[in-house]
Amino acid sequence: MTRTGGWLLGIWSALAYGLLYAPVAVTVLFSFNAPRGRFNLIWQGFTLENWRHPLRDQALTDAFLTSLGLSLAAALLAVLLGGLMALALSRARVRGGRSIELLLALPLTNPEIVMATALLNLFVGIDLPRGPLTLVLSHSLFCLSYAALTLKARLAGFDPTLELAAQDLGATPLAAFRRVTLPLLVPGLLAATLLSFSLSFDDYVISSFTAGETVTLPLYLAGAFQREISAQIQVLSTLVLVVSAVALLLASPRQDR
Amino acid sequence: MPRSPRAEADRRRRWWPWLLLAPGLIWLIGLYVLPLLGLVPLSLSEPVSRFGLETVFRGRLANYTEVLQAYGPILVRSFGFALIATLLGLVLAYPLAFAIRFHGGRWQPLLVGLVVLPSLTSYLVRAIAFTSLLGDSGPVLNLVAGLGLTGWLDGLGVLRDGRLLNTPTAVILGLTNNLLPFLVLPLVVAMERIDPRLLEAADDLHAGPLRSFTQVVWPLSLPGLGAGILLSLIPAAGDVVNPKFLGGPNDRMIANSIENLLLVQLQAPRAAALTLVLMALITAAVLLQLRGRGVDDLPLP
Amino acid sequence: MSMPVSPRGRRAFLRRLAGGAAGAVVMPSLLQACGRGPGGSATSGGGDRGGELVISSFPLYIDPGQPGAPGSVERFRKDTGINLRYVEDVNDVRQFFARIRPQLAAGQPLAQDLVVLTSWMAERLIRLGWVEPLPLAEVPNARHLIPSLRNPSWDPQQRYSLPWQTGIAGIAYNIKATGRELRSIDDLFDPKLKGRVSALLEMRDTMGLLMLADGKDISRPTWEAAQPSFDRLEKARRDGQIRRFTGNDYQNDLLAGNLAACIGWSGDVAQLALEQPDLRFLVPESGGVLWADLMLMPKGARHRQEAAQWMNWVYEPVEAARIAAAVQYISPVEGVREILAKDPATAALAANPLMFPDAATRQRLHIFGPLGDQEEARWEERFAEITEG
Repeated sequence: MTRTGGWLLGIWSALAYGLLYAPVAVTVLFSFNAPRGRFNLIWQGFTLENWRHPLRDQALTDAFLTSLGLSLAAALLAVLLGGLMALALSRARVRGGRSIELLLALPLTNPEIVMATALLNLFVGIDLPRGPLTLVLSHSLFCLSYAALTLKARLAGFDPTLELAAQDLGATPLAAFRRVTLPLLVPGLLAATLLSFSLSFDDYVISSFTAGETVTLPLYLAGAFQREISAQIQVLSTLVLVVSAVALLLASPRQDR
Repeated sequence: MPRSPRAEADRRRRWWPWLLLAPGLIWLIGLYVLPLLGLVPLSLSEPVSRFGLETVFRGRLANYTEVLQAYGPILVRSFGFALIATLLGLVLAYPLAFAIRFHGGRWQPLLVGLVVLPSLTSYLVRAIAFTSLLGDSGPVLNLVAGLGLTGWLDGLGVLRDGRLLNTPTAVILGLTNNLLPFLVLPLVVAMERIDPRLLEAADDLHAGPLRSFTQVVWPLSLPGLGAGILLSLIPAAGDVVNPKFLGGPNDRMIANSIENLLLVQLQAPRAAALTLVLMALITAAVLLQLRGRGVDDLPLP
Repeated sequence: MSMPVSPRGRRAFLRRLAGGAAGAVVMPSLLQACGRGPGGSATSGGGDRGGELVISSFPLYIDPGQPGAPGSVERFRKDTGINLRYVEDVNDVRQFFARIRPQLAAGQPLAQDLVVLTSWMAERLIRLGWVEPLPLAEVPNARHLIPSLRNPSWDPQQRYSLPWQTGIAGIAYNIKATGRELRSIDDLFDPKLKGRVSALLEMRDTMGLLMLADGKDISRPTWEAAQPSFDRLEKARRDGQIRRFTGNDYQNDLLAGNLAACIGWSGDVAQLALEQPDLRFLVPESGGVLWADLMLMPKGARHRQEAAQWMNWVYEPVEAARIAAAVQYISPVEGVREILAKDPATAALAANPLMFPDAATRQRLHIFGPLGDQEEARWEERFAEITEG
């Protein structure tokens, strides 16, 4: 790689990171802004005041906690159902397994508006009032695909001889699964849960159709934009960013090949 | 007649997978397949009254022609925006993925993590941040004006009368921002499979960087490319938030139209028809891509 | 995130990631336990909330609390002990209708006990039978309603609605951005303001102003009379003259400088002008649109007593005056002007023709007449074509 080539590559990469981080940087910056009025989108001056009262916006905090609870429920449900499916698909040669995989993949590639319309029509049709239940059902659906396919990939890279070895040593198939496979699956389960959780937490379109009066964080934000943008929104987002960054840093392995 | 233990085990082996598959399948069929199929009769119906919820099935194919006539251009526009955003994303993602893979060294996981990190913040908050960034008194326009590029960009159509917010450019920038990680990740993974010695060899044979790219990197990264495009172009075409916050009334995309039909004009049958048209276009593309390679190339953790 | 690390490394990675994520989940709950403010919070979700009165209204429509000077909601809670949840979630009336329609159409009650909606929507809800008669027997202060709003066309027997505020739709603009004073609707179509102008999604306000500029009578609006205005609006949208069509959210763009002029509402602009003194409100020479927002009780509301207490409380002239001073719309309560005039801090408001229209201003204010059901559908479809592109 030539000198100028390396230079160019560096600048290009910086541009890419720049695009990715521009809105994030603005958010962090404005969490330190002293807002004049209802919309914290014009820079006035630096202040730490917003950070002293991160939970001042009660409605925002409520929405955040609602999202937290509902997304956790949806993620766990998705991982449970998806995990079972992944187990079956990776361990057994099921007739029609390929078609099931395709079926699982389809929701991944639909724009959310398609699923949202279908789900709303379903809930109205069976007279199910829109609220936390319909939200969890909807979210667990689109997370199911991600969870199942993630776990299937994990299981595929798995060494089956470990379980067979346990069985040779006298364990029943179920015990072998419980004692050997399951613990090794934990990282995969965690990854699937985290992925499902973050997808559900950030979901806007499907929630806007199926939430009824429940206010999740994205729904609150969409409404907030029309009446006010409190600095607490940026504070909360920065907090989430910092926690995620720390988690990523901690978990980022130093390449141990 | 007592069955042999072998036959018993065989039997158990054959149906236990279905036991595990059943709950998930019930979910998929009950909450995905059936509701989607349920849109079909709805799309051929008519509302009974203007504000009631009942519809009556009439086999009304005219819903489809009306909807295509009214929203055809918006459909084209949506895929157009998504395509441009994907191309722009690829232009940014390829060099980045290359740099991470071949120059990242021990920082590679961290660099990849940094690509993913912004996606962990709410994309609504990011859209709101973009309105501030791209606003008329915002830093981006100030920079452009400072560099004296306003007139040139205006002429190109990138700016509209010197504005950036509420233009197609802003929408595309927002879309690109959202889909960039979904392009970088599969490309990095795909490039993992490229042996750096191949590039050394190309260098030894006096291939310039462009040649290296087209002859070595590009062909070997294609599997990741297909998966990445699938996971970025289609959600981008169906995006709601970016056109709503960053676009003007001339930049509406198809998901906005479906939302408007369903939630503002209260025309459920038409909304269903439009949704199914969108679905049909997408399913064709997806099946084409996935039939070939299966689901293994999808960039999942 | 499939990183090429050895299985051991990957496991460690994920264990640590999980630890971090667990922290992310636990931390907010801890924060909540540490720093909750007063006032309580109601969990979200539909259905009955026990003794909680729920009201949905437009934003910027009530006096907000300041530290040291609690707003009406806070004071009502303290005075009556009623647990009031006041939600500012009505941004666009049609979108709000779409939200409440499935439940009301199925005969199910809403979470709200009172909603504040514009008169034409109130008329529709009354016609559909989706609202309850108000418990006006328990609202003695309703006698303070100004005479001109008694027995209105949308609710002739005055059974289902009680006005919240009335106001004017006109032109809001930033005088520095436009460089001059604006006079008429035509100024919105000035090429010099291209791309920095917006119109309301509220069809009757936008079309009303345009039709008035066209010399048409909007008290009896006809499809034919509306065509030139529809065409004009469509052309402006196609040409990029109009930057956006907005609900309440023109405020942000006005403040941020993205809009030079727009169609807006009188009280909003008066409130925004406190933050941005360059903002002006104009009732065009051709006329402004006078509208009314009403309090309605959706069918099946569970807290009728508490709702009656709220309505009685806000119709107390002193309280009405406080609200009026904050929102700067036209109050429906008699005696507000005198109360404002007495206090030197608010005396100027008592003389504001936008809050207390004199005869000359009244001449230029018009109410948009009723549209039949089928007519309305036609108008809405055409309008949607224009606003949705």
